[in-house]
Amino acid sequence: MSLGKLIERLLQLVPVLLGVSLIVFVMMALTPGDPVQIMIGDQNITPEQEDALRRGLGLDRPIVERFFVFLGNAMQGDFGQSFYHRRPVADVIAERLPATIELSLVALIVALVTAIPLGVLAAIRKNSIFDKLATVGSLLGVSLPGFWFGILLIMLFAVQWHILPVSGRIGYSSEIETITGFLLIDTLLRGNLPAFWDAVKHLILPAVTLGLPMTAILMRVTRTSMLEVLRQDYVTFADAKGLSRRRVLFRHALKNALIPTVSVAAIETGSLLGGNMIVETVFGWPGLGRLVVESIFLRNYPLVQAAVLLYAVIYVGLNFFADILYTILNPRVKL
Amino acid sequence: MTTLQRLLLASAMALGPVATGAHAADLVVGFTLDADTLDPANHRKRETETIIRNMYDGLLTRDANMVVVPEIAESMTQISPTVYDFKIRPGIKFHDGTAMTAEDVKFTLDRVTVENAMEGTTSPRQSLMGPVASVEVVGGDTVRITLKEPWPILPAMLPNQQIVSKAFVEANGSAGIATAENGTGPFKLVEWRKGESVILERFADYYGGASDIPPVGPACVDRVIFKIIPESASRVAALLAGDVHIINELPAFSIAQVNANNGTHVMTVNGTRSFFVAMNLEGEYFDDPLVRQAAAHAIDKNLLIDKILGGNAAPINGILSPDAFGASELPSYGYDPELAKKLLADAGFPNGIDIVMDTEGAFKDTAEAIASLLTKAGIRTTVAVGESAQLTAKWRVQGKAPKTGDMYFSSWGNGSLDPFDIFTPTHRTNDRGNSAGYANPAVDALLDAAATELDVAKRAGMYREAELLINADLPYLYLWVPQDIYGVSDRVTGWQPSADSRINLHDACLK
Repeated sequence: MSLGKLIERLLQLVPVLLGVSLIVFVMMALTPGDPVQIMIGDQNITPEQEDALRRGLGLDRPIVERFFVFLGNAMQGDFGQSFYHRRPVADVIAERLPATIELSLVALIVALVTAIPLGVLAAIRKNSIFDKLATVGSLLGVSLPGFWFGILLIMLFAVQWHILPVSGRIGYSSEIETITGFLLIDTLLRGNLPAFWDAVKHLILPAVTLGLPMTAILMRVTRTSMLEVLRQDYVTFADAKGLSRRRVLFRHALKNALIPTVSVAAIETGSLLGGNMIVETVFGWPGLGRLVVESIFLRNYPLVQAAVLLYAVIYVGLNFFADILYTILNPRVKL
Repeated sequence: MTTLQRLLLASAMALGPVATGAHAADLVVGFTLDADTLDPANHRKRETETIIRNMYDGLLTRDANMVVVPEIAESMTQISPTVYDFKIRPGIKFHDGTAMTAEDVKFTLDRVTVENAMEGTTSPRQSLMGPVASVEVVGGDTVRITLKEPWPILPAMLPNQQIVSKAFVEANGSAGIATAENGTGPFKLVEWRKGESVILERFADYYGGASDIPPVGPACVDRVIFKIIPESASRVAALLAGDVHIINELPAFSIAQVNANNGTHVMTVNGTRSFFVAMNLEGEYFDDPLVRQAAAHAIDKNLLIDKILGGNAAPINGILSPDAFGASELPSYGYDPELAKKLLADAGFPNGIDIVMDTEGAFKDTAEAIASLLTKAGIRTTVAVGESAQLTAKWRVQGKAPKTGDMYFSSWGNGSLDPFDIFTPTHRTNDRGNSAGYANPAVDALLDAAATELDVAKRAGMYREAELLINADLPYLYLWVPQDIYGVSDRVTGWQPSADSRINLHDACLK
C-alpha cells in the first residue's frame, strides 16, 4: 500500500473519533443519573456542600461548554481527572490497559491455535463423528455465557483440584518490576521464571474463557472456507498430479483457506475487548473492561469518554490491520 | 476417559499445585472493590475507607459494637455545645518514623473542611464533617474543633477521617498521597497493584491503637493483602479454595455452602442499611392512607426474611435500625391479606389495583417476592428493573420535578447509626432521599430540632415522637435491616466483623 493511501486511512480516523466523542458525550449527558448524587450516596448534606462538590467536578458549567472544553483538552492529550480516582484519566487507564491487552492477545492465540487445526480436521473429515462433535462444540462455545463458563472452570481447576488460582493476574508474593506492563514479557526480561510461571497460571482460565467464543467462530469459518477450497479445480489438479494428501492440504489448500479466518480473527479481536468486561469481573483481572463498567454505573464521565475513545481507536486500528492483512494474503485485492 | 480429558488432566498435573508462596502469617482478604485512591481526604467510598483505615488511624474510632472510642486522641472534652477539645496522645509515629503532632491533626482536618484546601479543590469528604467553623491547636497537644452550630453527631462522624502527615503531604502533594501513604496505622503499604491487590505489612513501631479496644500493640499478622475479587461467586470460590481467609458480602444463598465446607465458617453482624418500599404519595393510588395500610398488611416480613435472606435480617417498623440511636418499639402492621383486601375496597378499589414497583437488578428476586405477596392481596404488582443511577434520578427528585411511578424498593445506609443521616434525608420534606414525597411539617420540625439538640434523652424522645408520626402516616413500607455476612477461614482468630462494614485487621491473627 502506498504512503498516500496510509495517510488517507489515518485521516479518516479524525471524523470517526470526533463522531464517537460527540455520541459518547451526548449519551452520557442524556442518560439519567447525577454523578454528584451518586457520589454523595446515603448522607445528609447541605445544598451549599452539594454545590461545592458539583463545582469541584466541573459539572456546574453548561453541557455545550463542557463538551468543547473536553474536546480542546483531549486534542492536547488531557482527558481530565477521574471523578473517583482524583487523578488524570490517562494515568488511570494506562495502569489498566496492559492487563487487558495481554489477556486479549493470549485469548486470541488460544483461539487461533485451537480453532485452525480443529476447523481443518472437521473439513477433511466432513460429516464424520468428529465433524459433528466439532459442530456441537462450536455451538456450545458461542452460546455458553462467559460468567457461567468462567465460574465452572474456577470450581473445577481452583476449588476442586487446586491447580490454578481463582483470580488475579499474579500471586501477591511474586515480585513485579514493570518494564512494558505486560507481565509475561516483564518477568522474562527480568529473568524471573517463577514469577513468569505464576503469571502463566493466572492467565490460563481467563484466557480460555475469553477465547472460547472466538475459537468457536474461527473454527466454523476455517471449516467452511477449507471445504470451499477443497472443491476448487487447482486442488483436484494437485491431487491428480499425484501430490501427497498432506502436501495438497497444507501447501495448497490451507494457505488459501486461511484468508477469511485471518481477517475474521482480526476483526473479532475487537469483540474480545467487549468480552473482557465480564471475564475481568469473574476472574478479578485488573484490566480496563472492569474499570469502564464500574465507571459507567458511577457516571464517571471523564473516564468513560476517554476509554470509549480508546476502544474506538483500537477497533478502527484492527479493521485497518485486517484490510492490510487481506491485501497481503490475497494480492488480487487492493485497498 | 477421552483423549481430551486425559490431555486436560495431564496438563493440569504438569502445572502442579498452586504455589501460594505465602508466609505463614499473611492474612488475605477477598474484597469487593479496589481503593479509588490512598488519600484519606479525597474519596467518597466505604470500600476505599476500609482499605485506607488499616494504614491510617483517626482521632476517634469505633469498636466492633459501634461504640466510639479515642484512638489518636487520648481524650475528648466537650467545652460547649459547639466546641470540642481533643488531647492528642504522645509518642505516635508516622510510618516514615517522624513524630505525629497536633499540627498534623489540624492540617488533616483543615484539608477536609476548608474550601479549596486541597491545591485549589475542596475535599469530597467535607460534608462528612458537618458545620465546622475552625480547627485550632491549643497548648501544643490539644486540637480544638469549633462548630458553626451544635452538631451532636460530630463524635460519631470523626472516625471517618484519618490523620495524615503535614510534612508528607506538603512534600508530595495531593498527587503523591493518592498512590503512596504515610499514616500512623497498624500496617504500612508495601505495594498497590491497582485493580488487583493492596499489599500491607505490619508497622513495628505502631503505638498500639485505641486503648479501649484490646489487644493494644503491633498487629498480629505479618502481612495483610486485600485481594480484589468483585464477583461474589469467585470470592466464595477463593475462600473455599483457601486462596483468601476473609471475604465480605457473602451472598445469603452461599451461607450453607461455606458452613458445610471443611475449614470455613460464616460470621454475621447487624448491618446499618434499612430496606423499604417507598410509595409515591403524589401518585394515583398511594396518596390514600388506606391503600398504604393495605400494602403494609399484605407483606409477610418474617416469611421474606426467612426465605430470601436466610433469616439474616432484623424486621423494622420505622426507618431506624434497632441498633440506631433513638430507635424504639413501634406498632407493627401485621400480615393479614384479607384485611388488606378490605382496606382496598374501603378505599374504593374493590377489584384491586395494578401498579409497578421499581428496583435495581441486584434486588430483583426480593422485589418479586414482595410483589407476589402484594398481588395476592389485590395490589397487582409488576417489578420493573432499572439501573441505580437512573432510579435515583427518578425517585429522588427533591421537589424539583413532579414525582412519577408507584413504588420503589430501595434502601438507605446509616454508617453512623445516628438518625440524622437516615431519618432526615428520607423523611424531611423534599430532602434528597425522600423517595415517597412525604411532607409533614410536624415531622420536619422534630427532625430539625433533634439535629441540634444536645440533651441525649430529649433528642431520643424527639426521634421517638417522629417515628410514631411516620408509623401512622406510613409513607414507606419499612421492611428490614439485613446483617452483613462474611465468609471466614477457621484459621482466623481475634477478628470480628464490624457493623460499619470496615474490616479492621489490627487484632486479627492466623493459626
